Amino acid sequence: MSEPAIVLSLQDLCVRTPERTLVDGVSFEVRQGKVTAVVGHSGSGKSLSARAAMGVLDVDPGLVRGTLRYPGVSQRDWFDGVRGSGMNAQRRLLAETSTLRGGYVTYSPQSASSALNPGRTVGRQLEMAIARREKAPPDVGRAVVEVLGEVGLPPRAAYALPRELSGGMAQRAALAIAIAPHPRVLIADEPETGLDPVLRRVVTELMLEVARGHGCGLILISHNMETVDRVADDVVRIGNTGSPVAANA
Amino acid sequence: MNGSLQLPERPSRTPGGTPTRSESPQRAVQAGDDVLRVDGIAKTFSIPGRWPWSPKRDVYAVNDVSFSIAPGEVIALVGQSGSGKTTVSRMVLGLEPPTRGKILVEGRRWDNLSERERRPLRVRYQYVPQDALSALDPQQTALEHVIESLTVLGGQDRSDAQPKAIAMLERLGLGQRINALPREMSGGEQRRVTLARVFALHPKLVVADEPTSGLDPDRQDSVLEDLIENLPPESGCILVTHEMSQARRWCHRGLVMLEGRVIEEIRFPDGQPQHPYSRMLFDPWGQHDFAMSTAF
Repeated sequence: MSEPAIVLSLQDLCVRTPERTLVDGVSFEVRQGKVTAVVGHSGSGKSLSARAAMGVLDVDPGLVRGTLRYPGVSQRDWFDGVRGSGMNAQRRLLAETSTLRGGYVTYSPQSASSALNPGRTVGRQLEMAIARREKAPPDVGRAVVEVLGEVGLPPRAAYALPRELSGGMAQRAALAIAIAPHPRVLIADEPETGLDPVLRRVVTELMLEVARGHGCGLILISHNMETVDRVADDVVRIGNTGSPVAANA
Repeated sequence: MNGSLQLPERPSRTPGGTPTRSESPQRAVQAGDDVLRVDGIAKTFSIPGRWPWSPKRDVYAVNDVSFSIAPGEVIALVGQSGSGKTTVSRMVLGLEPPTRGKILVEGRRWDNLSERERRPLRVRYQYVPQDALSALDPQQTALEHVIESLTVLGGQDRSDAQPKAIAMLERLGLGQRINALPREMSGGEQRRVTLARVFALHPKLVVADEPTSGLDPDRQDSVLEDLIENLPPESGCILVTHEMSQARRWCHRGLVMLEGRVIEEIRFPDGQPQHPYSRMLFDPWGQHDFAMSTAF
């Protein structure tokens, strides 16, 4: 059986500040329907690597080495012209990849509360996420109900403001918004932080089920090895110096 | 109050700053009267109805909880979010009055004291918060935090407080960071400042509410080691957590809470959970009936 297609490839990433190297030599590929876990201690460069995989680099001088490709779009190296060129080139990259973020690649932050806009209903936020699909659905209202159903929320949740949701429901709503544009890559940044062990399992399994259902590759940033060992297809471990210590465990 | 420090010898740290881990982290339980006795406490909150004219209804956040803590004992309150752990710990500290039941601290009734009567005693019953950064004043250094604790709560002179504060920070491995502001410290260092502030007061009872939340596993153990090993030998501690491995490693007993009630008490390190809900908490990746989960 052939390997699922690669949807994101980040190779040999090296990012520096004037004082120190933040990450050095981090590489990973994300395949359709598979889970790539990026693990390491706090401050090791996990989130930095994930942000770089979305084309977001905001340190000076920043990118020294590395290539970034989204094979589902083109074979272009998005870091071409950015390596060693400082903040202006990084800002240009940010602008060029803006149409891919929230569409081809979506990001689910650590806490559900920071993923949800407190002033808009869940339904309105889902409509905005659905609008970023490559092909607009014929009936947006029906699409909102479908996405809510995928994450186990009832249709009435569309009328709720984030503060009216319980912690678990907010987690599900945040996942619904991340998955609504039908991304090819979903980046989940420590989705288990602050959750109790049961909710941790439920959220992780739901995320996997939904991502696999859409054929979406998942980058799971975590320091919980129990979860990673159970769900990841590939593991990238980043050491304290920002260098990978092992890959593809 | 003289506030002299009588603390146990602390294990040495390696040159890299990582504490050396003792073989058996559980402390010795001392003989003597209970530090804390909680007898059938309950807490209800009024929930408004659907419409402004709808009658309010009472819901139990905590219902019929009883336990005691011996000198030197560390107990864990475990359970999912919303199970009532934090409400119990707030009642124990006198931050919420129980709707019914009694709380005795060092043999004295504590829950029915007025704030005026309670205030001089608060210095002996201390709280370690979940979010260290928001518990620290962004404009105060590590040293100023501990001195303030000793002068304001401990009633000591600043001249006496300063050397004690420095000694406590050095004990917690912050000797080189006494002049650092909270934003200049790592998450682990911020948590150690909140511990230094508490231990400088030589408390009889410490309530730690998820003190390792958001830290990676190695730093979690390091913070718990700092917490448990610096407790005065005769003090009791309540560790509120939803990490069962922490409870088993560092505590003598665990009280499992579900919907405001204690459904099971487990003796650590060898006791095994019997209730299906407790088994689900201790082994979340096993085969369970997740309908018991209160999280969704």
